[in-house]
Amino acid sequence: MDLLTHWLGNAPDFAVPFALAALGLILTERAGVLALGAEGLMLVGALAGIGMQLGVGVAGVSLLVAMVAAGAVSLLFALMVLVLRINQVIAGLALVFFCQGLTGLAGTVFGWTNRPVSGLNTVELWPLSELPLVGKIFVQNPLVYLTVLIFIAVVWFLYRTQTGLRLRAVGENPQAADAAGIPVLTYRLAAIVAGAALIGLAGAYIAVLSTKMWIADMTGGRGWIAVSLVIFARWSPWRALAGALLFGAIEALIPQLAATGVRLPQYFVLMTPYAVTLLVMIWVALGSRESASQPGALGEPFIREQRR
Amino acid sequence: MTDTTLPQPTVSTRQPLFGRRYTLETRQQMAMHWQALVIGLALLFGLAICALILVGAGVPAQELLNEFVVQTLFDAQNLRAVLFQAAPMIMVGLAGCMAFRARFWNLGLEGQMIWGAIGATAISLFDIGPHALRLPLMMLTAMLCAMLWTLTPVLLKLHLKVNEIISTLMLNYIAANFLLHLVYGSWKDPRDNFPYSPPLQSFERLPDFLAGYNVAILMALVITAITLWFVGISRAGLYLRFVDANPRVAGAVGVPVRKMIVATVLLSGALAGLAGFVVTAGQEGRLTQSFYQGYGFSGILIAFLARNNPVAATVVALLIALLFVAGRNLQVFYQIPFSMVQLIQAILVICVASSDFFIRHRMRRIQAGDC
Repeated sequence: MDLLTHWLGNAPDFAVPFALAALGLILTERAGVLALGAEGLMLVGALAGIGMQLGVGVAGVSLLVAMVAAGAVSLLFALMVLVLRINQVIAGLALVFFCQGLTGLAGTVFGWTNRPVSGLNTVELWPLSELPLVGKIFVQNPLVYLTVLIFIAVVWFLYRTQTGLRLRAVGENPQAADAAGIPVLTYRLAAIVAGAALIGLAGAYIAVLSTKMWIADMTGGRGWIAVSLVIFARWSPWRALAGALLFGAIEALIPQLAATGVRLPQYFVLMTPYAVTLLVMIWVALGSRESASQPGALGEPFIREQRR
Repeated sequence: MTDTTLPQPTVSTRQPLFGRRYTLETRQQMAMHWQALVIGLALLFGLAICALILVGAGVPAQELLNEFVVQTLFDAQNLRAVLFQAAPMIMVGLAGCMAFRARFWNLGLEGQMIWGAIGATAISLFDIGPHALRLPLMMLTAMLCAMLWTLTPVLLKLHLKVNEIISTLMLNYIAANFLLHLVYGSWKDPRDNFPYSPPLQSFERLPDFLAGYNVAILMALVITAITLWFVGISRAGLYLRFVDANPRVAGAVGVPVRKMIVATVLLSGALAGLAGFVVTAGQEGRLTQSFYQGYGFSGILIAFLARNNPVAATVVALLIALLFVAGRNLQVFYQIPFSMVQLIQAILVICVASSDFFIRHRMRRIQAGDC
């Protein structure tokens, strides 16, 4: 019983990075830009957040700086795919490798590796936190609650504002959007930077609020899991949130199992998120033959002089 | 224009900058030597950025050339190290080339290397086969294990359209955790407390063909030749070019498209497995926990820079091996972390990929008034 309470209470904490990263990816991919760089941008956010936390020590500032840092690095990606028209898969992979190298180097050169930082205190949502069994769900750090608000804001933006409609139009049919007078590349640039900021926030969450230190390559494939989560969610933010909770629950289960003293082979347990990702991908593929909900122009560069 | 009775076209009402505007247009073809020049300039630009970063990280500027060229090529010990390092590098580079030729993003080179190494080590641990045949047996097992590991993503892609980028990456993490399970668990060397398997015996290690020069580099060159034959001369290579150019047309004219893709990707996996075998039986001499790190990215990079050409891949792999050796020296002498090597590779990829834009586009000046 105690195990269940702890597990439920920890799941949101593990789910938030997946949720924020997936939301950032959805924002970018809805504008028709295939964003494979999430793993790298998360590392940038994580390192920037830790650096700021070691220097200034105000978590809110660190998280903001992490968002700005990831947004700044994503300008390189934007340059590659929007201006130089590099294949978006190559550009995304190059961005991941670039960020892995950059953060590994910077973390060591600045001496930020393995130095613990203080995170954020938890906030109780009082009447709810007294509930039996599920009470622990409502004792979280402030960013967990903020994530819910961010989701509401992004969903409202995408589906209830004219700018959001235009952004989706750019992702569905950039030629038509262009003909309607929407500046396609500007929208895509904004979507890349805004998405990167959310992905950077996800990385900073892992480093500053969960692990509370920087270790090279600490995101451990969570960016890639977020990429597959978006496919699983068929580019819908709420389904992505549900998927993130699923993965958060799985990750939260790992330390809980260890605590109960059940003798499980440790490294097989550590494999589960990756194995589940693979199974989810297969399940999605089995479920729908045609991916109708994928943005129509995902991964295609917009080149005005090549009208179709 | 000379006919003054017609009204001027509306274009001229826009105010052009300094009386002229520029437009970007796609270029049909660029002469080979100009292409080489553009790529060369891009590489120089990338190297300049890398040099700046290295200097910023604490390497004295006047030492750069010394560390990267003089020390690595003209010092016998370092040259041996470069050639030794080049052998697995060439193999993963060729593995990348093969997969890309089948239009398969094989990001699972590291997982396939791990399985190659596990397979080879298993032969040694369980003492299978006579001593004289031990090395060939380890080699074959390494290739077989890696091929089996590659089978899942390629079948998933062909039958269910599961994105191979994600599936191969996830399989990397699974393989890496399995490797840890082995080297921290049942395969751990009982004699000491480090996470590695017991050392291979002397007849299970790749020998030197000359004093200090390991046979691994010869193996790599033989494999380059075989790959060259496969893609350039054999019937399968011709089919593969069909499939690469247009899978639907290839299928329509009777090329067994799926079989070709599966076979080529499995070959790619086998080559990666072989690289794992070479690192285990050559450099490390035992199964270790992180021998594979960095190879996956380098393999992709080599294939990309070499444009999937086996000979070019071998040359690029030698240069990357040089970079690795120089990177290790920097680590020792200047405490520069090894991530620098990855950063340099990423910058070079970005620069070369960007150079493609200048090959495929040109700026054209538009005179005021024309369209």
